[in-house]
Amino acid sequence: MIITAQKELDEILHMLEGYERIFLIGCGICAATWSTGGEKEVRQMAAWLTEAGKECTGAIVTEEATCDMRTTRLLLKRNREAVEAAEALLVLSCGAGVQTVASLLDLPVYPALDTLFLARLQSMRVCDERCRLCGSCMLAETAAICPIALCPKGLMNGPCGGYEDGKCEVNRERDCAWVAIYERMERFGQRSQFMTIHAPKDWRDDIHPGWVDKRRSAQSKGVAK
Amino acid sequence: MSRLADAIVAGEFVVTAELGPPKGTDVAHLLEMAELMRDHVDAINVTDQQSSVMMLGSLTVCHLLHQRGIEPVFQVTCRDRNRIALQSDLLSAAVLGVENVLCLTGDYVTLGDHPDAKPVFDLDSVTLLQAVAALQEGHDLAGKPLQGTPTFFPGAVVSPVARPLGPQIAKMEKKVLAGARFFQTQAVYDPAAFESFIRQVEYLQVPILVGIILLKSAGMARFMNRNVAGVTVPDALIEEIGRVPPPERPAKSVEIGARLIREMKDMCQGVHIMTLGWEKYVPQLLDQADVERNRRTD
Repeated sequence: MIITAQKELDEILHMLEGYERIFLIGCGICAATWSTGGEKEVRQMAAWLTEAGKECTGAIVTEEATCDMRTTRLLLKRNREAVEAAEALLVLSCGAGVQTVASLLDLPVYPALDTLFLARLQSMRVCDERCRLCGSCMLAETAAICPIALCPKGLMNGPCGGYEDGKCEVNRERDCAWVAIYERMERFGQRSQFMTIHAPKDWRDDIHPGWVDKRRSAQSKGVAK
Repeated sequence: MSRLADAIVAGEFVVTAELGPPKGTDVAHLLEMAELMRDHVDAINVTDQQSSVMMLGSLTVCHLLHQRGIEPVFQVTCRDRNRIALQSDLLSAAVLGVENVLCLTGDYVTLGDHPDAKPVFDLDSVTLLQAVAALQEGHDLAGKPLQGTPTFFPGAVVSPVARPLGPQIAKMEKKVLAGARFFQTQAVYDPAAFESFIRQVEYLQVPILVGIILLKSAGMARFMNRNVAGVTVPDALIEEIGRVPPPERPAKSVEIGARLIREMKDMCQGVHIMTLGWEKYVPQLLDQADVERNRRTD
């Protein structure tokens, strides 16, 4: 799940300065689930904008993820009149969704949300980051706990000296990823695996932008090694 | 081999101290403190942007010490440089005659005075030690041959009273596997806990220098308990230093420090004193701890 957070209303109004007629789009997958860009939030945003003196020419939530270009393209076509009546669009989705919309229209498009991270959803109010999309998964070697995502330093070879009672030096409320990995490995009798020295990460796996073309045997991320 | 390496390999009881470079270019006070300690210690560590606070560079200060015949330990963290810059700085150190290298992960950037900086951590302390080993073998981390091979005496750090201790010891073992030839520890105030730690790492057969920080006041002790990971000052010591009026505190502090050293010196191969501005008390401390000898070699 991609976690997003709504920007301050002041910031949104500042972005939209000079545009009177706005069309709103929310995302029916991640942002809807996390209550940052579903039906309710899009309606609320429309009401705020109206209150702030803007005119909403329309407001929709994509049934699929907004970042799915195929379905978003169809939806924009179906709402063509209201979209074209707008001077700008405001998108309540992650950055990928915003850019998908922008790539489909020759109109100014703005983000209503900040995109935070890829998370595990614990409840409708609690989530935590679990994946950095780094391009070479090492979970097999770390008891299915990712140190790239869960250690602020992204250490590859065990904890730093900063943990205290198993908590991280950067945030004492968070568990030290490497202490958690060590304890989980111990439970599975895998201490010897903990002793493996992992080579420094190959950052070519994490060169951006990533792209995939399954029609060709193209790189999904990074460059040829 | 470096003088520090010679002393450690010879099995001598080794004393190292620590100096933090200034924020700025005025090194007069720093060099004065180094001169004050030079006859009493085997080597002086120079910190690398300690606590993520931007300072004059460690290598420059190591060079200044080396020029004066004082044995430096170049502290290197992984926080601010990627593998290219780290290896390059290691080569620079070797060319300047700086052989002792202490490899650390480094504190996170948000703990320091530029909390908005981009953290690097391209290598970690283990792979930094591997980089040192690679350079000594005449090639870099990419396997490319070097023109001129450096000599280093690589060390690392460990936190003997970390909670939990298991992952700390496992990481220490990895550092030994990666080439660490000696360890300096986080400050220890509990000899019994240190003894237990030493028993658990005996199998590694690596020289350990126990860390000592002079307790300046009860407030400082409580601050460390709250804020410094891996440091626990027992209540009895906090009371002992707290009972004493300010003018008598340095003497009491030295007395406590010397007692700790006396209690732990037979468990390990040396002591690493983190002076935090109290460099002038180092000679007294070592004298009272019965580990004083003339270490001047030049």
